[in-house]
Amino acid sequence: MTDDDLITLVREQRSNVHMDTPVEQIVGRGRALRARRRLPGVAAGALAVAAAATLAVTALQPTGHHAGPQPPIHLTAWTVTRQADGTITVTVRQLRDPQGLQSTLRADGVPASVTFFGHEPRACQRYPKMSAILMAEVFGGHGPPLVIHSKALPHDAGIQLSPLHHAHGAPIALAAGLVRATPGCTGT
Amino acid sequence: MGANRPDFAEFYRRSKDECLFTVLVSVGDRDTAQDLVAEAFARAWARWRTVSRHPAPAAWVVRTALNAHVSRWRRRRREVPLADPGAIADRPTAGETFDSPVDPRIMVALTRLPERQRQVVALRLFLDLDTARTAAALGIAPGTVQAHLGRAIAALRADLMPEQKEIPS
Repeated sequence: MTDDDLITLVREQRSNVHMDTPVEQIVGRGRALRARRRLPGVAAGALAVAAAATLAVTALQPTGHHAGPQPPIHLTAWTVTRQADGTITVTVRQLRDPQGLQSTLRADGVPASVTFFGHEPRACQRYPKMSAILMAEVFGGHGPPLVIHSKALPHDAGIQLSPLHHAHGAPIALAAGLVRATPGCTGT
Repeated sequence: MGANRPDFAEFYRRSKDECLFTVLVSVGDRDTAQDLVAEAFARAWARWRTVSRHPAPAAWVVRTALNAHVSRWRRRRREVPLADPGAIADRPTAGETFDSPVDPRIMVALTRLPERQRQVVALRLFLDLDTARTAAALGIAPGTVQAHLGRAIAALRADLMPEQKEIPS
């Protein structure tokens, strides 16, 4: 196979993908965006109200994860370590073996969904009571490593780890978020 | 149609599928990609006077869509840099297939390309920009575009046809 054949093979994939949004819908949304740009005060005010509402419904309901030292699990791709204070540190070096990482976190009492490729599980839903405060409580500082304060995790929430892709680029970071804890998403 | 912007409607008709494909390859999920591209086209319509003069309006749409994707994640996620910035990803497992109509082998191979190579592949192969416009869009020399494209093709060949790494074209 020549380079041209290879390029053709890759380009052929385009024919499988079709955008079916009508142009009228695009234009309608464009009109709304343009109108909003002309009223910056309205948009900013709406965002402020939304943020305040989000904070108002925040609730912290710590759970009783088991504390105690646990030997670190060393793997090439990632390392999970439980500290004496109950926090869990996750260092990801390579996006390999997401199932293993997910199982390790769950075994440590953290409802977790880990995805390194493709879409997130359909069963996963954003945690409705998520807020910046709760995120800071659960995830602490800006790693690496990722620090999970499992005691700050609400009883009905789990964590979701996914790769964050740069524009056009390969994965540059790991994104940690909160999702509803459900058997289909986080195992519990 | 298009609020007296028939050229926008033609631009949309001509480039929507290529833009969707390019974004889909980056984000992996068709529904997400379609939402992002629709929003980016809407922004292009709202700023059409500016965007229509861009050297590559389709590239503007793709970049806007992918930037929105990053912003969306950052609003609701805690971002932690990978310990090894050069970290590569493994092939997806059976439970981690891409939700897309694109051949998963090709999706994975494209995902594994370094950032700059993927940029060049996206502009040159998916959006059909020539070398000069790709170079202008990325702010690099035309020769650098050619070099990145050559390396990307070699990497794709190694991934997709490991038994045929060195076949002269």
